[in-house]
Amino acid sequence: MSMFDRAIQYNLLGASVSCEAVEESQRWILTAMHRYGHELVTLLWRILGNEQDVCDAYQTTFLHLAHHEGGRKPRWVRAYLFRTASNVAISMLRQRIAERKTLSSMTPANEQEPTAEVDFDSRHLAESLLAHIAQLPEHLRNVITLRDLGELSYPEVARILGVSTGTARVYRCKAVQMLAMWVNDEENR
Amino acid sequence: MRPGKLGQTTCSRASGSVPDRWENLRERLVDAARRRLGPDAPWAQRHIAHCPRCQARMAALGRVDLAMSLLKSQPHRLDLLRRANDAAIHMLSRRLRETPEADRLKQAQPEPSLAERWAGPQNALVNMAACLAVLALAKAGIFASLDQAHTRGRAAVKQYYNQAGQDIADEVFKT
Repeated sequence: MSMFDRAIQYNLLGASVSCEAVEESQRWILTAMHRYGHELVTLLWRILGNEQDVCDAYQTTFLHLAHHEGGRKPRWVRAYLFRTASNVAISMLRQRIAERKTLSSMTPANEQEPTAEVDFDSRHLAESLLAHIAQLPEHLRNVITLRDLGELSYPEVARILGVSTGTARVYRCKAVQMLAMWVNDEENR
Repeated sequence: MRPGKLGQTTCSRASGSVPDRWENLRERLVDAARRRLGPDAPWAQRHIAHCPRCQARMAALGRVDLAMSLLKSQPHRLDLLRRANDAAIHMLSRRLRETPEADRLKQAQPEPSLAERWAGPQNALVNMAACLAVLALAKAGIFASLDQAHTRGRAAVKQYYNQAGQDIADEVFKT
């Protein structure tokens, strides 16, 4: 896990980002919110699937932006916002998965819902995919979240992550192969 | 692929520059190669029909596609952007909160992009993607687990229509 990832760990958010107000000179934050807000909300919604979590992650993302290097505007605001939003959302998702695991381990086996239902469960399939995405290595996960969940083009993804378009394509291909393998393993279990 | 939106990139490259033109050419070459060498190519389909290993691989990839389409098709309330903006603006300084821009953001509604407006309702696209994924699943599992794929595909599409409304689902799936 990179330093950047670690810095925005969900647990550390309260400690690292205070709720203090930002300077009035930071009007560019409102411009960024106006310009990229819709896309960010869509990305966050697809990762988190919970409206309150989306609002929290969105708020945290803009707090990070406001406090970036003492309130300085990042060189590429769009890239900063998408990477931060994606990392914040994945951290929240991981925490939620861990909490769910803890809860299910505390619940007696006979009280748990049957997981091996024959009926198709779209919710389970989507949640399972998200859990697998959260397990991907960072470089692959970033591409899959931006390209597939954020619906950005390959050149945009490449610019945001600072890699070539070809590399972004290769990363996505690897990520999809890994996800398919994991989904298949889970299906066969 | 979704085209880039004007004025949204923060990259220093100008739109229509030489590298972008190379990028477009490359995209076309990749698409052409995918048509001839990808899993939809006739020779690949013939091979998949007789290879259990490839069938399993295609089925797994289809499942990922289907799950991705399901994730994208989950609707959220229209006021989510407004609420998110409100929450974020709430953390800014009072002077910033009281600017006209902040007021506008608090009333913001999601606007479809130019690409989305041209392409029609997003749900229709997602629906089509889900159907294609279901078809791929059915195709890949034609020998191994056609019945299972068919049942799951039907259930997935029915579930999708259920979100649109029970009467529509009943109309589509009436027997």
